[in-house]
Amino acid sequence: MTTTADISSDGDISSEFGQPARRRPGRRTATAWAGRIAGAALVLWAAATTTFLLQALAPGDRATLLLNLAAGQSRDRTPDELAPVNAKYGFTDPLGQQYLDYLGGLLRGDLGTSYQLQEPVLSVILDQIAPTLVLTATALALAWLIVITATMLGAGRRGPLAGPANLLETVAAGLPHYWLGVILLVVFAIELSWFPVESGSGPRGLVLPALTLAVPLSGFLGQVTRAEFARALDQPHVLSARARGLGDTATRFRHVLRHSLIPALSISGWAMGALFGGAVIAETVFARAGIGQTLVAAAESRDVPLVSGIVVAIATVYVLANLVVDFLYTVVDPRISAA
Amino acid sequence: MRVRGRVVLAVAAIGVLVASSACAAPRTGDGRATGVPAATGRPVDGGVIEYGHEQEPPCAHAGWVQNAYLARQYLDNLVSLTDEGTVVPWLATGWDVSPDRLAYTFHLRRDVRFTDGTRLDAAAVKTNFDTYLDTKTQNSTVTAYLGPYFSAGRVLDDFTYRLELKSPYEPLLTVLSQGYFGIQSPTALARGPEANCTAPVGSGPFVLEKWERNRAITFVRNPNYNSAPANARHQGPPYVEKVIWKFLKDPVLRYGSLTSGSSDVIYNVPVVDWADASTRFQLRQYITGGRPNAVSLNVTRAPFDDVRVRRAFAWSADRRAAVRGAFLGVVPYNGNGSLSRSTPDYDPALDDAYRYDPARANRLLDDAGWTRRDDRGIRLKDGKPLEISLIYAAGAIVGPEGAAVLQDMAQQAREVGFDVRLVPATQSEHFGGKYAPADTYHGYVGYWTSPTPGLLHINWRQRLPNSPNPNNTAYYNDPELQRTIEQGNAATDPAQRQRYYSAAQRIISDQAAAIGLYTQTTSIAVAPRLRDVWIEKSQGEPVFSDARFVE
Repeated sequence: MTTTADISSDGDISSEFGQPARRRPGRRTATAWAGRIAGAALVLWAAATTTFLLQALAPGDRATLLLNLAAGQSRDRTPDELAPVNAKYGFTDPLGQQYLDYLGGLLRGDLGTSYQLQEPVLSVILDQIAPTLVLTATALALAWLIVITATMLGAGRRGPLAGPANLLETVAAGLPHYWLGVILLVVFAIELSWFPVESGSGPRGLVLPALTLAVPLSGFLGQVTRAEFARALDQPHVLSARARGLGDTATRFRHVLRHSLIPALSISGWAMGALFGGAVIAETVFARAGIGQTLVAAAESRDVPLVSGIVVAIATVYVLANLVVDFLYTVVDPRISAA
Repeated sequence: MRVRGRVVLAVAAIGVLVASSACAAPRTGDGRATGVPAATGRPVDGGVIEYGHEQEPPCAHAGWVQNAYLARQYLDNLVSLTDEGTVVPWLATGWDVSPDRLAYTFHLRRDVRFTDGTRLDAAAVKTNFDTYLDTKTQNSTVTAYLGPYFSAGRVLDDFTYRLELKSPYEPLLTVLSQGYFGIQSPTALARGPEANCTAPVGSGPFVLEKWERNRAITFVRNPNYNSAPANARHQGPPYVEKVIWKFLKDPVLRYGSLTSGSSDVIYNVPVVDWADASTRFQLRQYITGGRPNAVSLNVTRAPFDDVRVRRAFAWSADRRAAVRGAFLGVVPYNGNGSLSRSTPDYDPALDDAYRYDPARANRLLDDAGWTRRDDRGIRLKDGKPLEISLIYAAGAIVGPEGAAVLQDMAQQAREVGFDVRLVPATQSEHFGGKYAPADTYHGYVGYWTSPTPGLLHINWRQRLPNSPNPNNTAYYNDPELQRTIEQGNAATDPAQRQRYYSAAQRIISDQAAAIGLYTQTTSIAVAPRLRDVWIEKSQGEPVFSDARFVE
């Protein structure tokens, strides 16, 4: 509780997660926007570079991997076999050259060709990212719905339910996605048949995978919000609102909730990125199309262009989500933009 | 829920009664067919089969068994393998073998077109073999089988192709029945590997229409299909319109998809659901021929360079019990490390060559000089502990049950003084060849599906500088073993062939160069309203072209 209270005050938690330091937006001057765009570009460059290096420097020979994966074998390969593959993908070029080629391609919007799928990376990503975005956005919305409902009903109230509610949030925040997903699948899809077993593309199929991601996230967001909510309840302006005779629900909704959402909102930008990790599992358990599964398959086969492309794509979503969050601050708390 | 469960049980009970009184469900090869029979009723044309498969290969055509499963749906081969193990016509209506057994002349059908309109002819077949054997085209499974034997391919006339060998190779026809040897449209092959990865073109019963990555491949009926193999259950186009080949990687999801009716057929029925499935679905289990899941012991590296230590390792664990425990009796034990029990000329006597005997293991290790023990109970020799690293490709090759078998083994081997380190290799480490060099492992777990004991030539031919054989993962170089296998491959007399292959298995077993664990199996569960899904023999590929729904 203390940690959440510490980070909640200035909404700067996201810097802990590798995002460039973001201050509350001041006047929207050209300099501020230039700085922000430079920061975003930095994030993207770092993501691309890290992925490239991790993939290129991982042990094992990439040409061997390509040949063996196709054959289902684990053997070493003769130079005769490797030469054409190396020539085709430039694996034997100096690493710096490969890196420059890669960055140059990125700048031209060319993410390269997937080694394994033999398709342009961009088209693979465009095919796969929409279902994942729908899933993660729905999960985020669901998490918020749960948080707002729980907070409105429970936060800051004393009584026998306060302890268990808090415990529930802690438990929810720690639920492993795979475990939760399988439980939801078995109970609500297989046994009760309320939802399709395979997620498909319909809205009904979205519910269980989205819940799989939303429940742990709501526990996490809820802890942050609850602490802030409790603090806000004791603020002078809340007391004065009550003194003016405003009802409890109205006070909570109009004066306290809005205030307490700021830190959780700030985390949401980060959460959008983190949800991509959970999406891998939700997509596998519910047989859902998506970029998460593609990323895992690509990483397993060290498909450097595809892994890098997906990471850059996710980083882009992440950067955009944070820009949206910045904008939402000004909506939730107009004082921020006025400051 | 409870009510539904009872109804299901009652239906299942009736089903079992019917099954035991009526004639048995059609069997496939050495497969086990259990479960309920297909529903009675009028079979209908049309409909869409939703099939839940497990693993998704990167490309539709290559040399992994995962590719063979797909190939069966959209490619035809020259020949087909019956359940009895005989080779029958497919794209080849017949063949002549020269008296010296060095030339196979295939007479091709004249009325077959690939689905892109290209004509099937001798030139097309030649293009296929030449392409497959070209190192640039990545079909190294074809190379592993044919490379040492292939001499030349010749177009004798429009519809006659002759395959010439360097030395007699009796398994040839059986080998050609595998999906890796399916014949593709030469026009499509010429497009290069990119196009051929997701949209290969054959003359098979279905056309690969669409591949949604991570989700499904859609196969649509080839309306002009006229080239079913002689052992198909019907000639002509498939009865069903489509097969949606879904990738359901999670076992809970896969079985749930079947029980909820989202799938009509699923692959790899989870062993925990086996008993339940046998009361509700048509169950088929096919034990694939070839090499079972076995541990190759690296004979070039201490301590396994000493045959006594290898034998001690083999004696040290109750592998039969470990397999029964992990697979709940669903997947059989296969103690013979060189061939699986469904392979022709497999020697069953070797299954118990190393029955669990820790006392014997201890004696052997004492003899080999590993007499002292450290405070953990690990044996020592010259101050060095008896350490063994066992590599297995987790997920890609060895599933959770297989991993449990290995853990059991490691635990028991520890009792006699082995310090066994189990190393789960990721897919990229495994296929990237991280553990290919001799100094990276003591034991490596793997299987190789094959319909012929000729496979021994792939796994056990010597690794020599002028004739490298990276598939010999035990690094076991033995001219006598190689000669024996080659004599088996060349022998025309079946009894003689069996003697050679048996002798080869015995050498491998005596040397404890490979220790068998469990068979590689294909299992499918089919909903009662779908009839005549069968598993073909060469690789255990599910066949949907004869399947039809029951009204």
